[in-house]
Amino acid sequence: MKNQSSIIKWIVLGVGAIVVLAFPLVAPNRYVVHIVNMCGIWVLMSMGLNLCMGYCGQINLGLGAFWAMGAYAAALLNTRFGMPIWVNMPLGMVLAGVVAALIALPMLKVKSHYLALVTIGLAETINIILVNETWLTEGPLGISGIQMPNLFGIAFDGDERYFYLVLICVVLGYLVARQILSHRIGRSFIAIRDDDAAARAMGVNVPKFQIMSNAIAGVYCGVAGVLYAHMTTYISPDIFEFKNALFVLTATLIGGMGSLVGSLVGGYGMPLVQEWLRAFRNWQLVGFGIAIMLVVLFMPGGVVGLGQKIEQAGGIRWPWARKQTEEKPKGGPNVS
Amino acid sequence: MSMNIVSIFLQTLVGGIGIGSLYALVALGYSMIYRSMGLVNFAHGQIYMIGTYFGIIWYQGMVMGLQVPYPVAFAIGILLNAAFGLVLERIFRPLANLDLMLMLLGTIGLGYVLDNVAVITWGATGFAVQSPLPNTPIIIGGVALLPQMLLLIGVAAILMIGLNVFLARAKMGKAMRAAAQDRETASAMGIPVNGTNAMVFAIGCGLAAAAGILAAPIVYVNPSMGAAVGLKGFAAFILGGAGSIPGAIVGGLVFGVLEAISAGFISSAYVKGIAFVVMILVLMIKPAGIVGEVTIDKV
Repeated sequence: MKNQSSIIKWIVLGVGAIVVLAFPLVAPNRYVVHIVNMCGIWVLMSMGLNLCMGYCGQINLGLGAFWAMGAYAAALLNTRFGMPIWVNMPLGMVLAGVVAALIALPMLKVKSHYLALVTIGLAETINIILVNETWLTEGPLGISGIQMPNLFGIAFDGDERYFYLVLICVVLGYLVARQILSHRIGRSFIAIRDDDAAARAMGVNVPKFQIMSNAIAGVYCGVAGVLYAHMTTYISPDIFEFKNALFVLTATLIGGMGSLVGSLVGGYGMPLVQEWLRAFRNWQLVGFGIAIMLVVLFMPGGVVGLGQKIEQAGGIRWPWARKQTEEKPKGGPNVS
Repeated sequence: MSMNIVSIFLQTLVGGIGIGSLYALVALGYSMIYRSMGLVNFAHGQIYMIGTYFGIIWYQGMVMGLQVPYPVAFAIGILLNAAFGLVLERIFRPLANLDLMLMLLGTIGLGYVLDNVAVITWGATGFAVQSPLPNTPIIIGGVALLPQMLLLIGVAAILMIGLNVFLARAKMGKAMRAAAQDRETASAMGIPVNGTNAMVFAIGCGLAAAAGILAAPIVYVNPSMGAAVGLKGFAAFILGGAGSIPGAIVGGLVFGVLEAISAGFISSAYVKGIAFVVMILVLMIKPAGIVGEVTIDKV
């Protein structure tokens, strides 16, 4: 039985990989590829958000600022000094990570809705700086003429080729996140989320890990920012406003907060569904709002939570599901 | 010369108090709903926007070409939005028992709906509203004051005093305070808690409509007007101390004056930023806000 299920798992993975790799070749048009690339960028941000909010319980509505750090670092380094993406990527990651860690310092003092407001306020402030410091950022006009990357002699100069670059980042981001979660860091995050007082009593350095979770979210958003700048070749402050941070938050919650797969589902799923419904114009957004409310009320675990519920109810066994090692304690609280 | 600076300062201060009254009325909605239901309502900015339209469409003659006087439109707007609040409370009720992240998202979802229903109904482009009062400023001691601004400050003050008297004296007001303090006991004492909450919600929505209709001749009316004021009202609500009625008023006025002074004397480009930075500093020093949070007791 075990062999059979692992064979199925590998077949599913293999077929999935082929489908994904062939996607730009079979996609109906370039626009679709562009949208999917954009989804990859949302997924990276969503994974960052998930690590700090879903796993460490740190509410953060200021993702736009970290995203902007990566994007502006790449844009300025590229347009002023002609730096290529492989130089900009680590620098953007470090800048976004450091800014996120610094922002986390005042965040340590406050909780829940206060924290929500502080993160919005800090992100808005950074956005205002981007608008006003024209000598550096060109202000509201934005920075144009960012080059698409050229790596090892291969020009990633179209959406089809850029797809593979985004894909590599998403896969690496996912693997790194999984590694973090199985490490002591990830276990500390979860302990803090579940009960920070208990975590402290067990010797977890709570502030250190809270700052770390924000810095990790910052690094993920930094990667997303660098990718975004080199993909669209043009950035301006309005892209990094609150509404896009909200979009990432919504995608993550619909996919499943506290689950990396949830980030993949939400980050790829939600923008695609939105594109698909674009023909309905404002009614589409009304429907979108109603859908959010329904998700919140009836499937608070998001799509992933719903999948788990179906699985627990014994409806379907997903071929890729982990083998259940523990029996659920009898008489314990039922997850429903 | 020095006289001139003083009068400029006073003028800035009055402008700040005017905008601050607007924020305070919106913050009161946040605060009342939070203390009674434990709900942080991120759609309140949109409720403010809808309330503005509910009144202004009558004043502008957008309903069957019927043009009504400003005070009548003001009253209609408040009543319609309060009635709308009664309906909304029913939708929001299940959200109040969820944890903050879900509550946040659920109310934001509803905000999306309201935003786009407004665009569909009234169009995405807004319009300017003519003040019912003369547009020439009244000059008192070298300080030029806009009549509509004075109307906003005056009516807002009356509404805030009225609300405080209502909560302190009226039977319904006392029931609201009791329900906010301890749901279970209040319920055991025969107070219909859900009904009281619905009334609280209606009052919050009515105040938001009042703020919007009073400010409409000063600001520009369009469906996206709710987001910015919603955020600032929320900031005022936090700044004063979540759930506190005097806190919301103080927070709104402080935030408005802070904004006006930083725009007038420091940098108009950084006005939003300065206000937020000061707010964050206040929270660092006094994490429960200026007046202090009113802890709520959720069942």
